[in-house]
Amino acid sequence: MELFGIFFAAFLINNILLIRFIALCSFFGVSTKIDTSVGMSFAVIFVMTISSAVSWIVYHFILSPFHLEFLRTAVFILTIAALVQLEELYLKKMIPVLYRAMGIYLPLITTNCAILAVAFLAIDYRLNFLQSMVYSIGVSSGYSLAIVLFSYIRERMALAPIPKWFQGYPIAFITAALMSLAFLGFTNMFGL
Amino acid sequence: MLILISILVLGILGFTFAALLALAADYFKIEEDPRVATIMAILPGANCGACGAGGCHDFANKVARGEIAVSGCVVGGAEVSKKIAQIMGEEGFEVHKKVAAVHCGAKESQRKKRANYSGIRTCMGANIIDGGGLLCSYGCLGYGDCFCVCPFNAITMKEGLPLIDPEKCTACGKCVAACPRKIISLIPYDFKVVVACSSHDTGANTRKICPVGCIACKICEREVPRVFKVADNLAVMDYSKTGINCDPAIEKCPTKCIVKV
Repeated sequence: MELFGIFFAAFLINNILLIRFIALCSFFGVSTKIDTSVGMSFAVIFVMTISSAVSWIVYHFILSPFHLEFLRTAVFILTIAALVQLEELYLKKMIPVLYRAMGIYLPLITTNCAILAVAFLAIDYRLNFLQSMVYSIGVSSGYSLAIVLFSYIRERMALAPIPKWFQGYPIAFITAALMSLAFLGFTNMFGL
Repeated sequence: MLILISILVLGILGFTFAALLALAADYFKIEEDPRVATIMAILPGANCGACGAGGCHDFANKVARGEIAVSGCVVGGAEVSKKIAQIMGEEGFEVHKKVAAVHCGAKESQRKKRANYSGIRTCMGANIIDGGGLLCSYGCLGYGDCFCVCPFNAITMKEGLPLIDPEKCTACGKCVAACPRKIISLIPYDFKVVVACSSHDTGANTRKICPVGCIACKICEREVPRVFKVADNLAVMDYSKTGINCDPAIEKCPTKCIVKV
């Protein structure tokens, strides 16, 4: 039940895109088409889960014993960058189908702030290893939900008669704001 | 002390990751045919898919493995094919450039109609709705679907007929696929002669509805028997024969449906 609560809190209530407004660059960048946003979603789920596991281990077994918590930003960035590189190499050789499906999105994710944010948040909430895994899966699923929904709307918007001044990013931001208002309705359903 | 430890921890972490990545890069290395990269460098890189492969990289891979002919890249044309042939070690390779040609010569004013079509202004739409009211069920509809898909601006619409510029045409085949009546085909560039009709109607019927249709009179077959053949009420050309003068057939054709492009 507790894990379920953590998952839903990350998935809906504190949705990383629509409530926390983290990783907005990719939210607006790759959401113009449904298939790119689906590819990005899977890549984020994959990378976020693994990188939050590794950064949890690094924090609790390397930084904490030496009282170097203040170094976590630098260390996490280093860890995530190296990890994404490693995953790319591994996928290219072992699972070429998956690599072709999300190939270009993997290096993009190295600079995705949501990955770093989840590593930080999992530590700030003092989650244990299992909880932090569930949390990161929840966050990445929430990311996928928001970006895929948004890309459906944006594909529709591409055909809609939008006033000249609102075309492109302005209407996209307004739409995102309305979506975020809708997601605010989930507040106080669970804790965290 | 704290500074020293932090430097050490960061340094060791960085070094470990670097070593790990270097090892992984070696362990997960993929052996790639070196010819693939050189072929890739020559290709136009449009990823148009006209060769039948999924993009230029896939094409280079397949050529290196011998699954596609070196002349497969239609956009690159003769020059690219020759270079690829050199890389693949195929000597004395020659390519014949192809161009798209329209097998209909009826201008807008020459088409007889039984109804006025007022639906979506595309050939695709008109073809579904009873052939756009056209009496000829084979000829050009004239809404320019081929003109719209041509990525090289080689097609212009003139009097309701597509006019293909053989110099700009790269024979990518997009217009061939876009034409709902299938009246565009690729012919050898050197030939420059085309039967501008696709009608399989009998001669009498064709004559009733079109002034420039092929009536299957077989005069061309008599004049230049090695190239022309009338089959199923339509003259067709054998483009594998080169260097044959088709002028007598062009001159004698009673409906002038054999034309130079």
